[in-house]
Amino acid sequence: MAHLGPGKAASSKEQAGLRYPSNGKSIYHRPLNRTKTAELSQSSFAYLFSEMVSYAQRRVTGIQELEKRLNLQGHPIGLKLLDLLLTREPPRTQTRPLTIIALLHFIKINLWTHLFGRQADRLEKSSNPDTPDEYMIVDNEPVVNAYISVPREMSQLNCAAFVAGIIEGVCDGAMFPARVTAHTVGGKEEGEMWPGKTVFLVKFQPEVLEREALIGKG
Amino acid sequence: MTPPPAHCILNFNKTVFALIIINKAGGLIYNRTFHEGGLNKISTNDYLVLAGTFHGVHAITARLNPLSPSTTTSHRTSISSTATAPAGGAASAVGGGGGMLTRPEAPSGLEVLETENFRMQCFTTLTGVKFLLFADTTQTNVDLAMRRVYDLYTDYVMKNPFYQLEMPVRCDMFDRKLGSYIREINNR
Amino acid sequence: MVVYSFYIFDRHTECIYAKTWLPTSASSADTTTTGALTTTSAPRATSSDDAKLIFGTVFSLRNMVRKLGGDDDAFVSYRTAHYKLHFYETASSLRLVMLTDTATLSMRNVLHQIYINLWVEYVVKNPLSPVEHKGGAGVRNELFELALDQFIRSLM
Repeated sequence: MAHLGPGKAASSKEQAGLRYPSNGKSIYHRPLNRTKTAELSQSSFAYLFSEMVSYAQRRVTGIQELEKRLNLQGHPIGLKLLDLLLTREPPRTQTRPLTIIALLHFIKINLWTHLFGRQADRLEKSSNPDTPDEYMIVDNEPVVNAYISVPREMSQLNCAAFVAGIIEGVCDGAMFPARVTAHTVGGKEEGEMWPGKTVFLVKFQPEVLEREALIGKG
Repeated sequence: MTPPPAHCILNFNKTVFALIIINKAGGLIYNRTFHEGGLNKISTNDYLVLAGTFHGVHAITARLNPLSPSTTTSHRTSISSTATAPAGGAASAVGGGGGMLTRPEAPSGLEVLETENFRMQCFTTLTGVKFLLFADTTQTNVDLAMRRVYDLYTDYVMKNPFYQLEMPVRCDMFDRKLGSYIREINNR
Repeated sequence: MVVYSFYIFDRHTECIYAKTWLPTSASSADTTTTGALTTTSAPRATSSDDAKLIFGTVFSLRNMVRKLGGDDDAFVSYRTAHYKLHFYETASSLRLVMLTDTATLSMRNVLHQIYINLWVEYVVKNPLSPVEHKGGAGVRNELFELALDQFIRSLM
């Protein structure tokens, strides 16, 4: 399990509890690259995430609303991570991704490695000609779902909606507005091997495809 | 490589039969049989009664410790020893006969139960949840298995946002991981 | 090996014999004897309560074991972090219970020997002993007590 943000990664460096360094320097004074390889215990994240899901579950009426809330929790993280990850790139490649493929590769490799310590398992484009705006990022066993058993009556739910929110934040921040949703596909043909297999469905807004087409022509 | 038949029979004897988890109020929250024929089949209701009974018996076994008099007697003696002790006898009042400031050992209830047909290991967590692991009398390393079962519980039950404390455990992941772990032991 | 106490319960669930061998360090709280080992054959203040609790415990466990392990299964012993309790039930529903330290191995044979060599010899075969031992009548005879004490001490 890797780190989910500069704040949390830094806390592993700090002593327990809220402490302020005597020289007045907080984590904001620290160079951004310093915590690049810092890691965070999966257990502490699991407990935190468990509480996040419980919190999102309060006063929600349906599974869609719950997923929407988890998505909203992830969205700002994605926005900020885009900036952070680009800053950490070597100076020549510090530009934001300009095409859909470049963006999805950035998510599959850079974002996933930063968050989960490994790349996403697969990247796919929708084979359905009616939905050319849909792309799929596949994760065989999402770290966020490692300890989660979804009750039978909520079988539609996938708590990786939080990660979908992060992806959505990255896409929005890179000016590729999209809707991202998480779907469990375990239990189908490969279900035995990866019961928690999750597909993140990235559906870009029409204007993104329009622009992509124009770039292609140019 | 095929093991000789005698080896098979030996392995067959070393088996974990069942697991029961009892919450801190004595309610049955998990109950699973891994090996048919090891224990009698009893109804869910009987299991509930069994959990409650064991919870009570466990509390009594902790009180029966022959080395430490029951709380009422020790209270009485500490008062009498203060009364009879000479001035400045604070230490003797606190430490009883020992005269040392020692924390009394934590009470411990039943840990292992042995019968002619099976052996039951009981592990109580710091929060009062009891894990009962039923195994064959010859099963070794039950401590290790218990530890692993507790690990699985803390991972797949306690870290699951949909599990409500003190309620019956219904977590697919826990069932799956526990099943494969016990299968591994029973087929070893 | 240390034996802490020994109890006999008859088929009417009554405690007909109780004896404790407690080291002074532990019993100094409620007795004032000075010997290295004090035998209190006269029950302690709480010993009758203890006997009742012990019987309740072994009875519940025995029933639990029979339910799970089948009618031919028998409850043998249990261990806590501080002591170990051994149980032996005869065909005539006489129940012998012994509390020892935790390191002791199975005492089933010992309890069986106590039944055969001491109980049968000195209580059952004693013409003066009644059939029913209400309140411990007939059990607390000199031969039985002496032999039991010697036997237990030879084990320790």
